[in-house]
Amino acid sequence: MSEGAPLLAVRGLELVYGAGPDAFRLSIPSLELRAQQALAVLGPNGAGKTTLLRAMAGLLEPRAGQVVRGADRDVALVFQRPLVFRGSVAYNVELPLWARGLSGSRRSERAHASLQAFGIAHLARRNATTLSGGELRRLALARAFVTRPDVLLLDEPFDDLDAAGRESLSLDLRRVVDEQGVAVAMVTHDLRQALLLADRIAVLLGGRMAQLGSRDEILREPADPAVAGVVGMTNVLPGVVRSGGAAGLTRVRLEGGPEIACTARAALEAPVWVGVRPENVKLQAAHGDEETRLGRAVVTRILSDGILANALLDWDGVELRTHLVAGRGLGHTLKRGDPVRLSIRPEDVHLMPRT
Amino acid sequence: MTGFPWGAVFEVALRTLAVCGSALIIALVLGLPVGIWLGRRRFPGRSLLVAIANTGMGLPPVVVGLGVFLLLARSGPLGPWRLIFTPEAMVVAQVVIAWPLIVGITLAAVGALPADFHLQVRALGLRGSRALWVLLREIRMGLLAAVIVALGGILSEVGAVWMVGGNIEGQTRVLTTGVMMYVQMGRYEDAIALAAILMGLTFVLTGSLTAIQQTRRA
Repeated sequence: MSEGAPLLAVRGLELVYGAGPDAFRLSIPSLELRAQQALAVLGPNGAGKTTLLRAMAGLLEPRAGQVVRGADRDVALVFQRPLVFRGSVAYNVELPLWARGLSGSRRSERAHASLQAFGIAHLARRNATTLSGGELRRLALARAFVTRPDVLLLDEPFDDLDAAGRESLSLDLRRVVDEQGVAVAMVTHDLRQALLLADRIAVLLGGRMAQLGSRDEILREPADPAVAGVVGMTNVLPGVVRSGGAAGLTRVRLEGGPEIACTARAALEAPVWVGVRPENVKLQAAHGDEETRLGRAVVTRILSDGILANALLDWDGVELRTHLVAGRGLGHTLKRGDPVRLSIRPEDVHLMPRT
Repeated sequence: MTGFPWGAVFEVALRTLAVCGSALIIALVLGLPVGIWLGRRRFPGRSLLVAIANTGMGLPPVVVGLGVFLLLARSGPLGPWRLIFTPEAMVVAQVVIAWPLIVGITLAAVGALPADFHLQVRALGLRGSRALWVLLREIRMGLLAAVIVALGGILSEVGAVWMVGGNIEGQTRVLTTGVMMYVQMGRYEDAIALAAILMGLTFVLTGSLTAIQQTRRA
C-alpha cells in the first residue's frame, strides 16, 4: 500500500514568521505521507512542529514550496487545544459534515458512529463545554474521523492527559486508525508517544528537518548529538578513532581516557561523537579485582522513579548514564559509591561525525 | 387624566418602536461586519479604530443630535435631501448613537474567542456563510448584550431626536420627546403616563432579551 503517489507531500516548504534576527524560519525540503503510514514529527517546543502540521493541512500560506495533496483527499487536523463550540457534543461532531452539506439524518448517523468509535456515544446530548480533558480529546478525534479523512494530522493529541487517559486514548486511536486505514502524521515532544503510534519519525530542530527515518534508525543511529538528545540517546561522548578500517572492530579513544569498541566504521584519527543508549549500558556487580572487557565504573548517583532507576556512572573520568529496572537486582541494591562491571556491545555503539 | 388622547399616545408609542427598531437594525447591519473585522484582524492602525469605537460608545446624544442637525439642516451639506425634522433624520441620529455600541461590544466578543478560533473553524472545512454562522453562534451572548445596550440607549435618548426630529405632533413626536414637552407645559400627569409607557416598553424589550440570554447560557 506504500507504493503509488503519496497522499500528502511537502516539497521545498519555506515558512517565515517575524522579521530580522528574531525571525523564525521553517524549512522542509521533502516529506511524504503515504497510505496507511504513521509518521511522528518529534522535536522540542519551538521547533516548528505545529507550524509544519498547519502547513500540511493547507492552513498556512508558505513563502516558498508547496504542500501537494492527492486528488479528492480529505485531510483532518486536530489542534493541540481543540475548539469546543457552544452546544451539544453531537452538534460539535456534526459540524464538519454540515460544512460539507450533508443532510441532517446522515449527519447524526455518522456522528453517532464516530462518537461510538471513541467510546463517548453516551455523551452525545451533553453540553460540550462541560466535558473533562479526556472526553474533550475524544470529542476532537471523533470530530476529525467523522468525515472519514484519508489523512489525519494530530497536534500533541495526548497533551495534558494523565498516564491512564493517555494509554486508553492511544489504544482507541490506534484501533480506529487501523480500522479506517487512515494515514497519520502526529506532532509530539514525547518520544514514547511517537514510538507508540508511528512507524516513521521525523525529528524537527529549530525549524529544520534534522532527520527522517524508521523508528529503529532514529533510535539507533541519530544523525547528530542534537537528534541523539531528542531520541533519548543520553550518552554522547567526544572521541577520536584509534584503529579501524578493514576487518575487526573500530576502537575509539574517548576524551578523558577509556577506549570503546564498535562495529561502526570510521576513518583513522577522525574526531567522532560516540553515542550509546542508556539501556545498552549493561552493569554487573563487581567483586574483587577481576578483569572485564570495558573495565570498571563507580556509581556516582542513582535516581529511581519506582519503575526505572537512572544511574550515573564514573568510568575512568567519563560520565555514563544507564537505566535499571527499579526494585529488581542491581536496580534494588545499587547505591552511590558502589563499583560495577560495565559492558557495552560493540554493535550498540553509534558513531556520529564531529567537527 | 380626562380627555387624555389615547389614540395619539398609541401612535407616538408605535412611532417610537418604528424609529428605534429601524435604527437598531441599520446599526446592526452596519456595525456587525465592522465589529467582527476589528475583532479578527491585526493591522497597523487597528488600535486607533478600536479607540474611536470605544469613544463612540460614550458619545453624548446631544452632541450626536447637533452633528446630525448641522448635516441635515436646510443650509447643511445634506440639506437638499430634505430629511431634517422627519422620522428618517431621527433614525440617522439613533444609528450614530447605536453603531459604536454594536461595534465595540461585537469586537470585544470576537476578541475574546481563542486566538486560533478562525483557523480551527477553517480546519473543520467551514467556509464563507457557514463559517460566519458558526462565529455568530459562538458570540451570540455578546451580540445579545450589544442589542440590549443599543436598544436601551436609543429608546431612552431624547436630546438627539428632539433636535433633528423637532417633536412635531403626528410626525416626529416619540415617547421621550413627548415626556419632555408635557413637563415643559406643566402637564405632569400626561408626562407620567407617557413615561410609564416608555418604561413598560423598555422593560418588556430588554427584559425579554435578557431572558433569552440567561436561558441560553445553560
